Amino acid sequence: MSTLEAPALQAALRAAQNPDGGWGAVPGRASDTESTCFALVALRASSAAATRASHRAGLAWLLARQDEDGGWPLPPGGEEPSWVTSLAMLALDDAGEGEAGVLRGARWLLNEEGRRFGWLQRIVFALVPEDRRMKLDPDLVGWPWRSGSFAWVEPTAFALLALKKLRSRLDTPEVERRIRQGERLLFDRACAGGGWNYGNSRVLGEELWPYPEVTAVALIALQDRAEAPATREALAALPEMLDEHASGLSLGWAMLCLAVHGRDPAPFAPRLARRHAESGFLRETRSTALALLALEGATDWLRV
Amino acid sequence: MLSRRRFLATGLAAGLSPLVGSCGREPSWDAAAVRKAARSSVAVLDAPGYASPLTETLLRGIRLLELPVRGKRVVLKPNLVEFDPEGAVNTHPAVIAAAAEAFRRLDAAEVVVAEGPGHRRDNEYLLTASGLLPVLRELGVRYVDLNYDPVRPVALRSSFTELGHLHLPTTVLDADLLVSMPKLKTHHWAGVTLSMKNLFGVVPGAVYGWPKNALHWAGIDGSIVDIASTLPSPRFAIVDGILGMEGNGPIQGEPRHLGVLVLGKDFPAVDSTCARLMRIDPLAVRYLADAGRFLGNVEAERIEQLGETLESRRQDFRVLPSFQSLKV
Repeated sequence: MSTLEAPALQAALRAAQNPDGGWGAVPGRASDTESTCFALVALRASSAAATRASHRAGLAWLLARQDEDGGWPLPPGGEEPSWVTSLAMLALDDAGEGEAGVLRGARWLLNEEGRRFGWLQRIVFALVPEDRRMKLDPDLVGWPWRSGSFAWVEPTAFALLALKKLRSRLDTPEVERRIRQGERLLFDRACAGGGWNYGNSRVLGEELWPYPEVTAVALIALQDRAEAPATREALAALPEMLDEHASGLSLGWAMLCLAVHGRDPAPFAPRLARRHAESGFLRETRSTALALLALEGATDWLRV
Repeated sequence: MLSRRRFLATGLAAGLSPLVGSCGREPSWDAAAVRKAARSSVAVLDAPGYASPLTETLLRGIRLLELPVRGKRVVLKPNLVEFDPEGAVNTHPAVIAAAAEAFRRLDAAEVVVAEGPGHRRDNEYLLTASGLLPVLRELGVRYVDLNYDPVRPVALRSSFTELGHLHLPTTVLDADLLVSMPKLKTHHWAGVTLSMKNLFGVVPGAVYGWPKNALHWAGIDGSIVDIASTLPSPRFAIVDGILGMEGNGPIQGEPRHLGVLVLGKDFPAVDSTCARLMRIDPLAVRYLADAGRFLGNVEAERIEQLGETLESRRQDFRVLPSFQSLKV
């Protein structure tokens, strides 16, 4: 039987760190915000002394990447701030560092909205029957991957999570308004039978299927809305989504999600180990970090 | 001429952007950089199944089309977007393996497989579920996730959208030979998805998100043309038409056996040939008609058909009602 030990994953993360302090999507790639944030929260959860220097260097890289407007860009050398601002806020908040930067990030996030239809688009959308288009409410306001584009499930879920964690420190009614709007968008985009994919539940009259990793992230963002039908349905459906090909990414997120929702993730640990033995998670930083967090049951950074 | 229904369907697919995007603007292109040949050759090769000797078939096609390979860094760009065990969504691993083997036998300096899945950013799942991961490992071929590849800003060589420029992955930009390897499918927004539409996968999700929504807002048809006109040459297409998809493609349609591989250097010519194999009029497909103005050959009389005849392989692929006007 395969086993997966936290020290091995910690060592892999430390070995993957770039000389500039950040992490790339896989070892050897230029540092990016998303990979660095996941590596940081995973290493912070570790009590091993060897990880502390690594963590500090990563934090310095992350703090230096913040844009003047408060957001963080994702791609190496990338220009404008993006959805990863939410992740950066979570990683810094988890580390208890860069409070001013976190709050500037929150302000950037509150100003960020998914693109909305223009008047002509609204008219056409309303006129076309639902079986000839996608099923969604275009008036709901969430968060996009990139400024100026449409709102989708994952960036909205990460933004919700970051704002919910920080809500007590953000002295503006805008926070609650955006949280309610974001939740409505997630509920609107839920797939029939439970769960979420990137954000289209039905297109041209055909139901689309959910993805476990996206479902888990959305459920974590909705942890304080456990009574909502979409939350309950997705939570019940999540284990079924993890088929025999489930990846380190989806198993890691699902285990963290189950733990946040008070369910036992332990039955999935052997599968996570088996998957690592078979694929090595393709050496992806994000999956390695999430697996480490899942193994250690480290969910503080996700709890609101 | 587009029907009203098709116009609406296409507009909605593109986030309705055609209604506000390039209305009234005449597209242009860099005629010095992008010029179509007087004639193009396309090979339609028999390949009854995935257990067929595909490497030999591809070697025959590459030689028929006189494609220089020796010493080149070859990037194979398959179509890997979702996984459905019942469907025919992705380029089959056997075709990718055969292509890697063929280019190596022809002394390519390096062969890599690169894709930036447009719906799911879970590469490990897609590679495992599709069966591609063991194939890559057996061959020792490197896989590059284009969604997270380093990027460079590139000015687009045509203006069928108002995008102006895109950040594109260096793995693709620095390739000596880019090989688009789509699955032959109908597409519920664009009509068909073939070697040109497959290039949406090179647009990095790390910059543009999932799905590649910036392209939808800019207009799907225009984006297909602008990306295809901009990516570096030389390039080559190998279309997996062994088991295609009809109906509500590119994800939820039904598999349909066609039993061919379609190869060529001219993407619009390859895609037009594939459309004809599906009994679809390529000139009625908006992006193919646009591409035919400057990027490649679409008219049948400008395409030299090698291998099997179209008549012997043509099948009546089902399309959604909104695309019925494309059928011949």
